[in-house]
Amino acid sequence: MGRVFLACAAVTFLLVLIATAPDTRPVISASSQVVHRPVAQDGPGLRALQARYKTLSKQLFQLKPTQPYILVDTARNRLYVKHQGEVVLDAIASTGSGTILDKPGDDSSQWIFDTPRGEFLVQSKLTKPTWIKPDWAFIEEGLGLPKNAAERAEQGVLGDYALGFGKGYFIHGTLYTRLLGKNVTHGCIRLNDTDLKGVYTLARVGTPIMIF
Amino acid sequence: MNFCAILLLFALTTPSWGKDLEAFPNLNLNNHRSVQEATRVLEEELKLAARPHTYVLIDLVGNTIHIKGRGVELHHMPIAQWSVGSWEKLTGIHRLVARPQVVRRKIEPGKGDEQEPISLADMPTDYDLSFSSGLTINVAPLAAKDNLVQAITFMGKFWWRRLKNWTSMIGTDQPSTSAAPLEVTVSVDHAQSLAWSLVDGMAVLIRRAADQ
Repeated sequence: MGRVFLACAAVTFLLVLIATAPDTRPVISASSQVVHRPVAQDGPGLRALQARYKTLSKQLFQLKPTQPYILVDTARNRLYVKHQGEVVLDAIASTGSGTILDKPGDDSSQWIFDTPRGEFLVQSKLTKPTWIKPDWAFIEEGLGLPKNAAERAEQGVLGDYALGFGKGYFIHGTLYTRLLGKNVTHGCIRLNDTDLKGVYTLARVGTPIMIF
Repeated sequence: MNFCAILLLFALTTPSWGKDLEAFPNLNLNNHRSVQEATRVLEEELKLAARPHTYVLIDLVGNTIHIKGRGVELHHMPIAQWSVGSWEKLTGIHRLVARPQVVRRKIEPGKGDEQEPISLADMPTDYDLSFSSGLTINVAPLAAKDNLVQAITFMGKFWWRRLKNWTSMIGTDQPSTSAAPLEVTVSVDHAQSLAWSLVDGMAVLIRRAADQ
């Protein structure tokens, strides 16, 4: 009986200690009202700070694209064309599958099929593009690499248009429209014919593409 | 009369200082500490927004994680709760050393479409983010209210971290150096979404709560 009492007392003591420990980590819920004072009181006067804040806000605002830009959400497989905060075009896309493929003859090297993230620019606008199949396309299919470059060219698989944004990545069409909305590509961004035409019309060479 | 009409037209068409120009619409402009902190963050953000890279802003005042590029918000995720161990470590621009580990599926050549692509569901929900500055941010998933096991696990982890933090403080009277200076709790979906959106070397800014 005494041992049970002692054990209970020890546990209670421990819990009280934890609860009353000098906690430097206040847990803040989104709606809590806890007061923090981490920022030093010293510094320029309030008016000068307000003016500085407004100037910086304006500078940040001026960095925003003034022309239409393309926004790609690779997690949800959506592509938007936005202009001054408004969505001009909203399309279901297919982006990188995130899978990997070993490079033959090189144990330490592999292809990673991610859509690159960050900011890019439309570098080229093509009509009736021809797909020049890269090495991974043959290896993935279990085929040997062609000796003749002409064997790499494949017509009609990229749709009517393609917008290049560097390092062999394109926004292009697809024959596999049932896979739109899924992460299935080797890094390119696929759209259906209608949306592809819309993006091609709205974008110019130099249009920013923001991918996250 | 005509003069009044011209004046009214001028007032309507001239870009005035409005909320849309403000970097932080939730900022209390009369609070010295808040404006000081917002100004500090803006100074840092301008450096990032001037370059063609996406970056993350963790806003502990607005309880939101923003993914941004060129000052434009690309995506945002609400923070359910957060706790801070060391306010001082949160200032400056932090570069992500490595994004959370993800198990990628390997393509077996010649097997066609059989390889399952990676998806948001493959992303981790509870992980640490390490930065070149030495900062660590712990991202934890919010337990679903209707899931008792998840709730118990969440509480267990929370108290375990707190106990570890407290025991490491005994005798030193200093905040634990092993504990993450910042812990953010977001929904499971948003934890996975954040893990997805992060890339190696990505810059992270934190707006500290100067007041609540």
